[in-house]
Amino acid sequence: MPSPVLVVNDLSVERSGRLAVDKVSFELQSESETAVVGPNGAGKSTLVAALLGLLPRKEGDVQILGEQLSANGELPGAIRSQIGYVPQSLALQGRFPLSVAEFVGFGFDPPGPRWPWQQHRKRKSAIEKALDRTGCIDLRNRLLSELSGGQLKRVMLSFCVVRHRQLLVLDEAQAGLDVPSNERFQQLLLELRRQEGWTVLHVSHDLDMVRRSSDQVLGLNRRLCCSGSPDHTLTPERLVDLYGPNMVPYRHQCHG
Amino acid sequence: MVDTQALALVLAEPFMQRALIGGLLTGALGGLLGSVAVLRELSFFSDALGHSALLGITLGILIGVNPTLVLIPFAVVFAILVNQLVERSSLPTDALLNIVYSSSLAAAILFLSLVESYRGGIRQLLFGDILGVSSLDLIVIGILLAAALIYLSLSMRAQVLLTLNQDLAGAVGVQTRWHRLAFIVLLAVVVAVSIKAVGVLLISAFVVIPSCAGRLLCRRFPIYVFVSSILGGTCALLGLLASGLTNLPSGPSVVMVQFLGFLIALILSSRVFRRPSTTALDPQR
Repeated sequence: MPSPVLVVNDLSVERSGRLAVDKVSFELQSESETAVVGPNGAGKSTLVAALLGLLPRKEGDVQILGEQLSANGELPGAIRSQIGYVPQSLALQGRFPLSVAEFVGFGFDPPGPRWPWQQHRKRKSAIEKALDRTGCIDLRNRLLSELSGGQLKRVMLSFCVVRHRQLLVLDEAQAGLDVPSNERFQQLLLELRRQEGWTVLHVSHDLDMVRRSSDQVLGLNRRLCCSGSPDHTLTPERLVDLYGPNMVPYRHQCHG
Repeated sequence: MVDTQALALVLAEPFMQRALIGGLLTGALGGLLGSVAVLRELSFFSDALGHSALLGITLGILIGVNPTLVLIPFAVVFAILVNQLVERSSLPTDALLNIVYSSSLAAAILFLSLVESYRGGIRQLLFGDILGVSSLDLIVIGILLAAALIYLSLSMRAQVLLTLNQDLAGAVGVQTRWHRLAFIVLLAVVVAVSIKAVGVLLISAFVVIPSCAGRLLCRRFPIYVFVSSILGGTCALLGLLASGLTNLPSGPSVVMVQFLGFLIALILSSRVFRRPSTTALDPQR
């Protein structure tokens, strides 16, 4: 059995002087999809930020692809480039003079300084291939700020697929998408995950989607309230425990 | 009609030649850094830095040290402190910057009124004196322009990703804290060095207007940075020439040319670069 892609032991994280994540432990098996669910303010985004080394840990250990995440969030460049991240949104107020192809190219580049005119043939072909695979090839010359929400999310997947990754982290990536865009994004993510062999960790509020696509669910409300398969964790009783008594579990009939 | 004889006479003066080179370099530097500052919503920050620089100058006068020597360390320390304040405070950034810059401006004016030799000299500090730019000033501005150009070129990926989403930048290995700080320090030094030529009140125009014009015209990031810088330099040069010919104040003349450039960019962007709405064209949005 291959070693887990991510191992988290007793992780505690403070945010704004408050304990936002308290002694959380879990593992992500290779090529699995894990969803983090929980109410607003439960520490889901804080957990993701700490796993990516963006927030300091109070306690605990994080091991990504066999490498220990250092106390100040540093990872070797070779490991860092194996992680893809899709945030909830990008700051694109007004006209942002950056084309889709340029943005995706930044996903290909390794960390560190680089002259802007250094255009390798390999880089250009990787950008074209990534845009083609996500159905965004016609958008390559468009400005990022001209895209719709659905197009922008697919371009963000191109940013991840432009170079080989092992771990993909999505922080409420589908927030704000309408139903058809959400379905298309989910379908694309599933296809890419199978083709690329990605291990996926995503934060989501869409419990129906989580039920359909995830292998493992982590119910977080500062502490890990429940974890396991969707059938085991997304039961009415556990959801009420996680979200509170006002939670009314509902399943779409078409998927039920 | 342009009086070519008068123009030749003006251009023959060494102080005017220094002013033109100074304007060109300062304008290009403002446009270059402004291209990133505007996208990162730091326009008001540069304005606050400019206004607060007056306090640095005043401190230099009060302690009897050349104000130019005090201004650079003052601006850097001030920028770092304000950045910390903005990061740690729960108040909105624009409100905090307003408090900082209006308070420091008021303190500077009060202190200046106590200094006998500077009574009546405030106008020069507020609007700048580009005609008084020395050869040493030109060398310093030139070195800064080269440093800013090299830094922004090498860190373009980091600058763009940091602007788009700080977490995304951090996730792909960008040293977000370092780059944020480096850019703010660079901006502070540029503002401090440019104050003598441009003045406290007009410095933000040098940072904001050319880059906004460039933003309206460009569709590629490196081209946008380059065009903003070229527009900044060209507008400063044209403004100074107009000022020399008409005997109008130099700083405001440059800003009016920048504004004219912005209007032209606005018209061009709405007519030439307008694209059809894509909503109706792409059913799979």
